[in-house]
Amino acid sequence: MEGVSYQRFPKIKIREVKDDYAKFELRETDASMANALRRVMIAEVPTVAIDLVEIEVNSSVLNDEFIAHRLGLIPLTSERAMAMRFSRDCDACDGDGQCEFCSVEFHLRAKCMTDETLDVTSKDLISSDHTVVPVDFSDSSGYDSADKKGIIIVKLRRGQELRLRAIARKGIGKDHAKWSPAATVTFMYEPEIHINEDLMESLTLEEKTSWVESSPTKVFDIDASSQQVVVADAEAYTYDDEVLKKAEAMGKPGLVEIYAKEDSFIFTVESTGAIKASQLVLNAIDVLKQKLDAVRLSEDTVEADDQFGELGAHMRGG
Amino acid sequence: MDSLLYLLVYPQRPLLTTRTIELVGYDKLGAGQNATVAVMSYSGYDIEDAIVMNKSSLDRGFGRCIVMKKFSAVNQRYENNASDRIVRPLKVGHDAERMQILDDDGLAAPGEIIKPNDIYINKESPIITKGPLISPVGLPDSAYKPSRQTFKGPEGEASVVDRVALCSDKNSNLCIKFLIRHTRRPEVGDKFSSRHGQKGVCGTIIQQEDFPFSERGICPDLIMNPHGFPSRMTVGKMIELLGGKAGVSCGRFHYGSAFGEPSGHADKVETISKTLVKHGFSYSGKDFIYSGITGCPLQAYIFMGPIYYQKLKHMVLDKMHARGSGPRVMLTRQPTEGRARNGGLRVGEMERDCLIAYGASMLIFERLMVSSDPFEVQVCRVCGLLGYYNHKLKIGICSTCKNGDNISTMKLPYACKLLFQELQAMNVVPRLKLTEA
Repeated sequence: MEGVSYQRFPKIKIREVKDDYAKFELRETDASMANALRRVMIAEVPTVAIDLVEIEVNSSVLNDEFIAHRLGLIPLTSERAMAMRFSRDCDACDGDGQCEFCSVEFHLRAKCMTDETLDVTSKDLISSDHTVVPVDFSDSSGYDSADKKGIIIVKLRRGQELRLRAIARKGIGKDHAKWSPAATVTFMYEPEIHINEDLMESLTLEEKTSWVESSPTKVFDIDASSQQVVVADAEAYTYDDEVLKKAEAMGKPGLVEIYAKEDSFIFTVESTGAIKASQLVLNAIDVLKQKLDAVRLSEDTVEADDQFGELGAHMRGG
Repeated sequence: MDSLLYLLVYPQRPLLTTRTIELVGYDKLGAGQNATVAVMSYSGYDIEDAIVMNKSSLDRGFGRCIVMKKFSAVNQRYENNASDRIVRPLKVGHDAERMQILDDDGLAAPGEIIKPNDIYINKESPIITKGPLISPVGLPDSAYKPSRQTFKGPEGEASVVDRVALCSDKNSNLCIKFLIRHTRRPEVGDKFSSRHGQKGVCGTIIQQEDFPFSERGICPDLIMNPHGFPSRMTVGKMIELLGGKAGVSCGRFHYGSAFGEPSGHADKVETISKTLVKHGFSYSGKDFIYSGITGCPLQAYIFMGPIYYQKLKHMVLDKMHARGSGPRVMLTRQPTEGRARNGGLRVGEMERDCLIAYGASMLIFERLMVSSDPFEVQVCRVCGLLGYYNHKLKIGICSTCKNGDNISTMKLPYACKLLFQELQAMNVVPRLKLTEA
């Protein structure tokens, strides 16, 4: 088997990229690869999130732990996170996690002086580092961007006060969901739909419409002029088998054949705003590479060669 | 003040209501959360009504609760007019560490983090409480002994002093009440229930990336085993799932009575299904799901949607218990019973029967005597009664035969010795016949 390589060269085609949304196709690879990418995006791409809260004054209605939990879940912009150090292996601060290399300090001071309730939001968090700030959700398109909108932490009434210091640290989603940069990461197999034209033509228009409408999603359509059934949007198909069942119920099994392409995936990625969706994908690939390197370079691999033989050699790029 | 209070951190309004719920106002004061439930089998940690929970959901606040517990102390006034006093905490000495949360008034301060064995009130009681009246002031420090109260909460957990209240009780003694708060996230063994009496314990907590997901990116909060349905026949729960799913899709709170009512105050399953189809779901409420571990599609369609789940107050933290060595009952010298008394775990009659059937005699011996109440006795081989050991002469003596000639030493459970003595007290003579001495 010497010289046989199973290496594949996956291809990515980007369909749509927005700041917090990306849709792309991943082709010429298999489910394990696609799933590894998905899992890394959810659980192992690092971000920065508030991890330690020191409360000076809290006379609000919510208790300290409650506020600390809410603060932790606020997404912070973390483009810098990949380059930052984990506070547990930071040399500069002996692991207490309070130095500039591994942490960012936040301050919050709010006191309600009026009779109107005061919303304390993520905008009130003052960061010591301008690259790590609470994510700004105000829509740039102008839709009520005038008034400040942030994530509400707590509401204060007259005389109530909240004063605290918070330390944000780098972390990964595996430890706590607050460090997960992904709101939604999902993929689907690309469906391949073949309509049996001959059989389809044996249907009346009425039957065709009822068949088309049996799908909960709009996968098929009837061409207005030719009255032929066409595939309107193959990806809308949710593998629900409804159309197949309908065809069988109509006595026309094999009216349509639907397969899932085993080697192409359509990814949908939504980010929390901590990092851009496109960056999230790139970071995930980096993390995945690092993990593979760790396997390849670990001292055990030589010993593992006896055990796994070709596989070990293959992983080391052989 | 209530002695025990359970609060949910993020309560929600149920997505599926009924007329009665509205009349009662349950939708105004929610006591649970709308969890996305997948009805499927996962890992085997979901058998016997156990549920599998998503760790990320728990991180984000699902099922989080606050437990408030009251501890009170009374500044007692005694017969001789002396009374308890609360004194300034020690700043040095070996008890100083346990008094760190005390203010100068000797009471724990609100907002302080309190751990088990911390002192929350530095109280002292007079040594002499009876006899002639004395003036309450001017008693020397030496006339008081400490009667501090220590906090006994879950071991290894930090609680917080939420509130401290001073009041006078019906005998006009000063009464101090502490409300101690503990925030808990769900853990394995905590109990949850839907509104259909389908209670279950959390069997395991799984990372989100290992959880199944749909093409839309929906990932359930918890997984429930389908075996809970056939015997229980909780059709309402299935309707709740469908109605809830339709509710989230179209943005309207649905009514969940079983049959559509003539007044139109309930949604029929048929109409709910139509709503589902309109929003691109299958009419049956089942979704096409991928495995989070392999990335391959699951073989079956999964019934998935929101169900209102409540956290019940039975939490492992309050119940877990183990014991190595510990206190014993004075009468029988056997280990105490019950968690509150740090008791042992009983090998009962049925367990014993199993061991007998298996023939594990040494194990029975070890459990029923060695680890329970072993006792050394002196047995007279002549009369078969129990004697005693004379420490001066260093021999065993039979008190019936009045000599120490035929004494054997053996071990038996203290409870057995007790039984013999009680029988003797009733004029029944139990005699031991030793085969080997």
